[in-house]
Amino acid sequence: MTDTNNSCCTSPNLGGIFSTLDIRILIDETKCTGCGQCGEICPFGLPQPLNKGKFQITEPNRCIECSACQRNCVEHAIIMREQKGCGCLWDTRRRLKRPNYKEKCC
Amino acid sequence: MRKLELEPKTYDDKFTTLTNGINVKVRNSILNHIEKSSSVLELGCGTGVLAKKIALQGPDVVAIDSNFKMINYAMQNYPSEENVKLIYQIGTVIDFPVEDQSKDYIVSTFLLSELRPLEQQIFLRKAWKALKTDGRLLIAAEFIPSGFWKSVFKIKRWWFKKKLKRLTLKETHLNKWFFKYLEPIGFKTLSKESWKHGSIQLLELQKFSIDGKKEPGYYRPKFRMYKGIKSQIRILRCLLTGQVDHVAIEPGIYESGKPDENSPVLVTANYDYTFIKLMQDIKGIDAWVLCIDSRGINVWCAARGEDFGNKQLLEAVAATGLQNYTNKKTLILPQLSAGGVSVPQLPKKKESFPYNILYGPVWSKDLPDFLEKRPTKKPNHMKIAKFSLSHRIRAGLTHTTFIFRKIFVYPILFLFFFLLAMNWSNQLWWIGEFIFIVIIVNAIISLGFPLSNFTRSFIKKGIFFSILNLVVLGALNWILHYSVIYLLWNSIFYIWLSFFLTMSFSGYTMETNPREIQEEYGLFSKINLILLILSILSISLGIIFNLI
Repeated sequence: MTDTNNSCCTSPNLGGIFSTLDIRILIDETKCTGCGQCGEICPFGLPQPLNKGKFQITEPNRCIECSACQRNCVEHAIIMREQKGCGCLWDTRRRLKRPNYKEKCC
Repeated sequence: MRKLELEPKTYDDKFTTLTNGINVKVRNSILNHIEKSSSVLELGCGTGVLAKKIALQGPDVVAIDSNFKMINYAMQNYPSEENVKLIYQIGTVIDFPVEDQSKDYIVSTFLLSELRPLEQQIFLRKAWKALKTDGRLLIAAEFIPSGFWKSVFKIKRWWFKKKLKRLTLKETHLNKWFFKYLEPIGFKTLSKESWKHGSIQLLELQKFSIDGKKEPGYYRPKFRMYKGIKSQIRILRCLLTGQVDHVAIEPGIYESGKPDENSPVLVTANYDYTFIKLMQDIKGIDAWVLCIDSRGINVWCAARGEDFGNKQLLEAVAATGLQNYTNKKTLILPQLSAGGVSVPQLPKKKESFPYNILYGPVWSKDLPDFLEKRPTKKPNHMKIAKFSLSHRIRAGLTHTTFIFRKIFVYPILFLFFFLLAMNWSNQLWWIGEFIFIVIIVNAIISLGFPLSNFTRSFIKKGIFFSILNLVVLGALNWILHYSVIYLLWNSIFYIWLSFFLTMSFSGYTMETNPREIQEEYGLFSKINLILLILSILSISLGIIFNLI
């Protein structure tokens, strides 16, 4: 859930599941229209049209939770929680020390 | 100044101390400039000290501040005299509710450094619109002094920035480009007063109309070189300093080739390296290049932080007057900015933002192809960010220079002076070998990174590279020194170095998930500490052994 949309709470079937299982990212097929914008944006090409033209996330363990797909999905069909930062050691250390620290490493 | 704003009651006294009493002189000077019967707007009035003084002299005053606490305090201290025309309002310096052509004076003190360059341009344009013909803008702010005092100022500022980082406050901005905005927008400087060697100045600016038009002009940054030796040096300056510094160019509209109103509009970050690479990659193509203000940070990092998002995009379009250059209704953004820009959240009303967003390729080198073919679905090589060899080389170089700059410069200096102090200058080659080893380890990790793709865990990758590096460096060590003891002495050090540098490299691959690194961090720290202590012990033992 990010500030941009709270589909994981409003989606009746998936909201509960999302919080109990540790699912990194999910596309709600009831909302997906198959426009393919997520596939055009993901730097690793994870969303693929596998489900009768609707998109699904292949290899979710490779998702780095950058939120590009979620922020740009017009239908708010993507459920995930954004992870800020670049994943570098120094940024991680800073965030763990001070969780509200706004300054970035680079 | 931001820390002071949290407490309106003590703000004035503390601010007076901060500026060594100059703000009082500034206020008096402003009062002298304003005529008795006039209409005045103060932006950023704070506790209303100046607004009150002006109103008591006669003029109609509207005082605006964005801080509710300040306005509240100001209202509580409303002047009790009769016939005082003073109104307080909430608003920001780039969004204030004032009618066009209604004010004789607009006053703003010590607010400019809170604004970023494009915000300053928007502020100037709005101020121009709010002023009557020949109206005046009185701005007091901190500027960079010239001459000798410039160096003093820069040193003080560097020290101040370090203090700010510890206090986790946002820094204020230097107004180095501000003076360039005045004439193009429509202001001429009538008078200037300065204090403290020019670091605090009060400017009296008069509005003038450009070609008799009823609108203020727009500022455009000058052409910026991206070809030739100097540009290569600028690229090296970024790569060889670990790409730590935010090297910002002026945000605004630049031209590639000779674009006209039908040429494509490309958007990018205002990091110097990004700009140079982009312009070189689209050489020969006529296009407008809109550099948003990402505080001198590259596209990927800016989007993952909060420096390349809707706010920066909207502000850039508003400040530069993009619609005057192009009839195109599509902005082409770098794909990697999608982590910050949210298309569904852009204004729906076409008056405020009449553009559609198209996400272009990941790398600017694919732009010529993309612009020509305009694929509805990009081919894989344009939209997948592979950590290819050329990227690994650049990442490796950046990481190496970064790690020297951030960490290893200290032990190197220590070792240098230690060896000199012990009169062991014939052992100075230790330093050379140390530097050589760090470079080799970094090279192996960055160039050979795909070898570790069997796992996503950086701890496991670290162990893998430790073993790999131990083998390679061990062989090198044997060739150079032919000594078992020397090899044993250094082994733990090679292991620690590889393990640590692998984890440190995690931020340079784009495939790393910050949450995974956070989860690994605890265990990593423990292993790292143990290996580091063992290395230091092992090396110290070796040095002592050398003594005997």
